[in-house]
Amino acid sequence: MTIHHVPSYAVDPVKLDRLAELAIRVGLQFQPGQDLVVSSPISATPLVRRIAVHAYKAGASVVTSIYSDDEITLARFDHGHEQSFDHAADWLYEGIAKACSNNAARLIIFGDNPTLLSNQDPAKVARSAKANATAALPARENIMNSRVNWSVVAYPDLGWARKVFPTVSDDIAVKMLADEIFAASRVDRDDAIGAWKLHNAILKERTNWLNGQAFRDLHFVGPGTDLTVGLADGHNWIGGAAIAGNGVTYNPNIPTEEVFTTPHARRVSGYVRSTKPLSFQGALIDEISVSFEEGRIVHAKAAKGNDVLHKILDIDEGARRLGEVALVPDSSMISKSGVLFYNTLFDENASSHIALGQSFSHCFVDGRCLTPEEIKQRGGNSSLIHVDWMIGSGDVDVDGLTADGRSIPVFRKGEWAYGP
Amino acid sequence: MTTPSQHASPFIDPVKLDKLAETAIKIGLQLQPGQDLVLTSPVSALPLARLVVEHAYKAGAGLVTPIFTDDHITLSRYLHGRDAGFDRAAGWLYEGMAKAFSNNAARLAIRGDDPALLSGQDVTAAARADLAYFSAYKPAQDKIQNFDMNWTIIVYPDLAWAKQIFPGEDDDVAVAKLASAIFSISRVDVGDPLANWTAHNAQLHSRTEWLNGQRFRDLHFGGPGTDLTVGLADGHLWIGGATTARNGVTCNPNIPSEEVFTTPHAYRVHGHASSTKPLSCRGAVIDEIFMRFDGGRVVEASARRGNDVLQNLLDSDEGTRRIGEVALVPHSSPVSQSGLLFFNTLYDENAASHIALGQCYSQCFVEGASLSRDQIQAQGGNMSVNHIDWMIGSGGIDVDGIDDAGQRAPVMRNGEWAY
Repeated sequence: MTIHHVPSYAVDPVKLDRLAELAIRVGLQFQPGQDLVVSSPISATPLVRRIAVHAYKAGASVVTSIYSDDEITLARFDHGHEQSFDHAADWLYEGIAKACSNNAARLIIFGDNPTLLSNQDPAKVARSAKANATAALPARENIMNSRVNWSVVAYPDLGWARKVFPTVSDDIAVKMLADEIFAASRVDRDDAIGAWKLHNAILKERTNWLNGQAFRDLHFVGPGTDLTVGLADGHNWIGGAAIAGNGVTYNPNIPTEEVFTTPHARRVSGYVRSTKPLSFQGALIDEISVSFEEGRIVHAKAAKGNDVLHKILDIDEGARRLGEVALVPDSSMISKSGVLFYNTLFDENASSHIALGQSFSHCFVDGRCLTPEEIKQRGGNSSLIHVDWMIGSGDVDVDGLTADGRSIPVFRKGEWAYGP
Repeated sequence: MTTPSQHASPFIDPVKLDKLAETAIKIGLQLQPGQDLVLTSPVSALPLARLVVEHAYKAGAGLVTPIFTDDHITLSRYLHGRDAGFDRAAGWLYEGMAKAFSNNAARLAIRGDDPALLSGQDVTAAARADLAYFSAYKPAQDKIQNFDMNWTIIVYPDLAWAKQIFPGEDDDVAVAKLASAIFSISRVDVGDPLANWTAHNAQLHSRTEWLNGQRFRDLHFGGPGTDLTVGLADGHLWIGGATTARNGVTCNPNIPSEEVFTTPHAYRVHGHASSTKPLSCRGAVIDEIFMRFDGGRVVEASARRGNDVLQNLLDSDEGTRRIGEVALVPHSSPVSQSGLLFFNTLYDENAASHIALGQCYSQCFVEGASLSRDQIQAQGGNMSVNHIDWMIGSGGIDVDGIDDAGQRAPVMRNGEWAY
């Protein structure tokens, strides 16, 4: 048994409490009388406890937390019988969906060891991931469509910290990861809430400019990359604070540096190379290169984790098409840290990226009024998965192509090319 | 800030902890290959929860879903929550569990919460939260109480609980003492716990066979402060130890278990009774309880300690003023012999004969599985959102069985089996 004992002194309690308060007040903008459903690794208990305090202070009725545990996850792979891997807790996800349809807010704490399952049988990993993704659909739907205010924050779990900082002692690794999380989440300063107001305003200015341009395509060019990403008809750029279906303004990701929209699932062509490793269900995939024709991935390979990559692509038809394109400057705080987090919440904010799978309905103009058929018709994608991977770097240029064929610089050498 | 320990205290014997987990899966649940398991546990019991999961998967479990609770978060609600929140509960979670049980998931509960967590908190808020919880939990609780599937309960020696039992001891000593008491009473400190449980189940079964053969109309409890006649429900059935759930799996719903029990008649209980041990309920301790019954109903009730909690409890619903279980436990049971007060019903109810306010068990009727709710009530079964056991047995108590003709037969003398 691995002993996961996170030295609690390594995590600054003042900043941890600030992160909890930020999650409730900015991430969720929690409303009095709302219930709260938290999903968390059990190692993040110190953060969940502070979150519960701030949620109750903000007027929560009932805070319910659902914990996962790396040891328990591993026990299934170590001891489970063959038939176990197609089972999933559909009853739990349906329950969470029901809570959200009764206006419960949803908070997810990230802190999973990114390589937990890397030594396990990929077929079993894929089966359990598919069963889980299928069962989770009702709960995920509330999040993908932002029916309620939801947010994701991170906690410096020891297993994760060891992966990110493999050469230092446990307590130093946890402290270093904690400090990175606190800085990226902007809680390393007294007025974290003020800092987020300013940050949201800057992101809003970017999305306003992009929406004003109404590009037909984005063109990414860099080493190993020449990719034209058609944008969906009636696509909408968003970033930072958003308004949920229940009317609450919330910040779905802490941290967030990206602005993003819906690509056209049938209008992507060319080739692209990943600029950072991708961590999926505990396995690591690196040096990905893929080619697209008419929106569909026709060739794909990865120098590392190639079998897992192909398992992902084979989950369903939508897994071979894009559901998100996002722009992040290379100078973002997370990129500048130079740290590879092996965690999408962080790594996607270091670099421009694309996502395989499900699109977001709120990345369409008036997206909440659109039927699934209308979304599909406009170029939205549907899939059990939504997997982001990084294609941006200081060497990548991005142009916007307008409907009348003009080309407008968007990024040069990984930085915004238009002066606000 | 405390971080829940992810590995067991060095003062908890790891071999016996593992045997407890194995006994829970193999004897408590007899978990079936392919069966899913819903595991509820305090976060503090994580080391035991992990061992339970390991044995569940070794036994061929489909999926084990752990649902952890955290005393810190429970307490936060009382310290920071708004008043209107106390009438709400996570109904979605319990409806989900009920759905899992309908799909034949087994259920294992690890207990070990701090029994005094809520002492000092607002009693009415706790009562409202409790009522909201039990109402929301009912869909799941019904399936458990009706034994739709195999289920069991075990405990973990949590520090806060250990300090309640051994308040004068150092933390490590308190945990070590509680762990050792749990292992001994749960019969896992022997060479072959599974064989020991098989023999124990056989002995409990011989008690229930004798009682079921007698067909008593009433039991009479006599002793210091107690003179109580408990009518038994029409078609009542005595059970104890292993029981076969409706999904066909034989399980031991409580580890430990020393009791044999049946359904009293909700309208035929007369006289008075005094508690012989404190009752831990809603995070408070209720002690020196006295109750008078007339026509099955509690018409007078008081407690020297925790009287406000008791009165609140009795006002939950009409069924809380009547009893739904009567149980016989010899004074020489291992729990009683330990001389400890555990502030935990699973343990304390196995130290003494007891009665329970509230809901009856349908399986404590002959062919209970086929009885409707109306039939159960017509035969004397009680209905309530609560089920609260309190102890009326001791070395000073005699129990007689009284048959339809009014003939008395000794059942217990000075707290021990008399037959």
